[in-house]
Amino acid sequence: MKNPLFAVSLGLTLLISSSTLMAHHSPSAIFDMKKKISLKGTVTKVDWVNPHIVMFMDAKGDDGNVVNWKFESNPPRWFTKVGVNRADFAAAIGQTVTVEIVSAIDGSKYGYLQKITFANGNQISLEEGQKEEIRP
Amino acid sequence: MKLHLLPAVLLAAAVSYAQAPATTAAKVKTAAAAGKVHRTADGHPDLSGNWTFGIDLPHGDLQKIVNGKVTRTHYDQSARHHASNDVPGALPWEPAPSYKPEFQEKVKYLAANESKTDPVFYCDKPGTPRIGSPRKIIQLPKETIFLYEDISGDTFRVIPTDGRPHRTDANPSAYGDSIGHWDKDTFVVETTNFVDDTWFGENGYLHSDKMRAIERLWLTPEGNLVYQATVEDPVVLTKPWTNFARVIPPNNDPIEESPKCKEDDGTRLLNLDHHLQR
Repeated sequence: MKNPLFAVSLGLTLLISSSTLMAHHSPSAIFDMKKKISLKGTVTKVDWVNPHIVMFMDAKGDDGNVVNWKFESNPPRWFTKVGVNRADFAAAIGQTVTVEIVSAIDGSKYGYLQKITFANGNQISLEEGQKEEIRP
Repeated sequence: MKLHLLPAVLLAAAVSYAQAPATTAAKVKTAAAAGKVHRTADGHPDLSGNWTFGIDLPHGDLQKIVNGKVTRTHYDQSARHHASNDVPGALPWEPAPSYKPEFQEKVKYLAANESKTDPVFYCDKPGTPRIGSPRKIIQLPKETIFLYEDISGDTFRVIPTDGRPHRTDANPSAYGDSIGHWDKDTFVVETTNFVDDTWFGENGYLHSDKMRAIERLWLTPEGNLVYQATVEDPVVLTKPWTNFARVIPPNNDPIEESPKCKEDDGTRLLNLDHHLQR
């Protein structure tokens, strides 16, 4: 996808319901699943790493000062398999985007990226899929 | 020296495989249409090809909106499913291994604290057989090569099938020393010489360096790969444990290098909620 504007959203219901949804750790061990927030800012960096991709974004805080947020999301392999590559995220570097996240319980500027919306309205979001029985 | 030769061996194997006339899916389609599995020149079922990625990944769909057009893609977890029905050829399986009493508390502790104690959580090697079915198999007359995509690193296993015994000069490792043979139409891989710091399954399944893993792989008439592993460890287990069989569909996605793994969430974990790895 050449167009950089897209959004990543992981449905809140998906996150709430889900010790089996995240591959690496349960999101409830880090994130306040009821604290879904929306942020607007500039993407500064995308790390295409396991076990979660990582994206950094500068956003203005309530006091007007710019703070750097760090977001993790699903594993790179997951994104690749559903047709999203690093370039899709990296195209957003330097652009203003809107993201939806659930934020860390510890209050740090850290979140699980659920949705990203680009300036042209394109989006990528993570949504709840059909339930599957998985045996570890 | 042997290590230096390995890339050449793999390259030769890859070239050999690349010269094969049919892709996995094409072979499967042809063989399935004929009601039988595809075989190599020596008469064994041909396991070569790319197989579905079998490591657990998040459940869910991805939705894209591009220029107003909405598309939704589901992540296929079918290779993680246990078979809904009995798989012909599969051994009886049990939900969990039976540990000797003196190890039960430790296993329970490791399982309860797996987000802090599981080596795989922190990007370490899963080892055999926890890594599961290979992403690519290259079946040659005297050896079979398993290639993996794993977040800990993309490993390989070269499995001699010419009747030689286990190596006596190999260092213990996470993936061990393997030899393979055919039991009728089932490829049986026996692996020993393990380090003792991996788990053979989630839930704290520790083992000793005396562990012996037996993996069985065979093809269904429909062209799927079946993978089933048994673990023997007379030091920690009261009896061998056989896991359920997994049915792995063919998949022609190219095998790819996995991005580096760096888990830095450990210090952020505020409770022991479980992850799900494999």
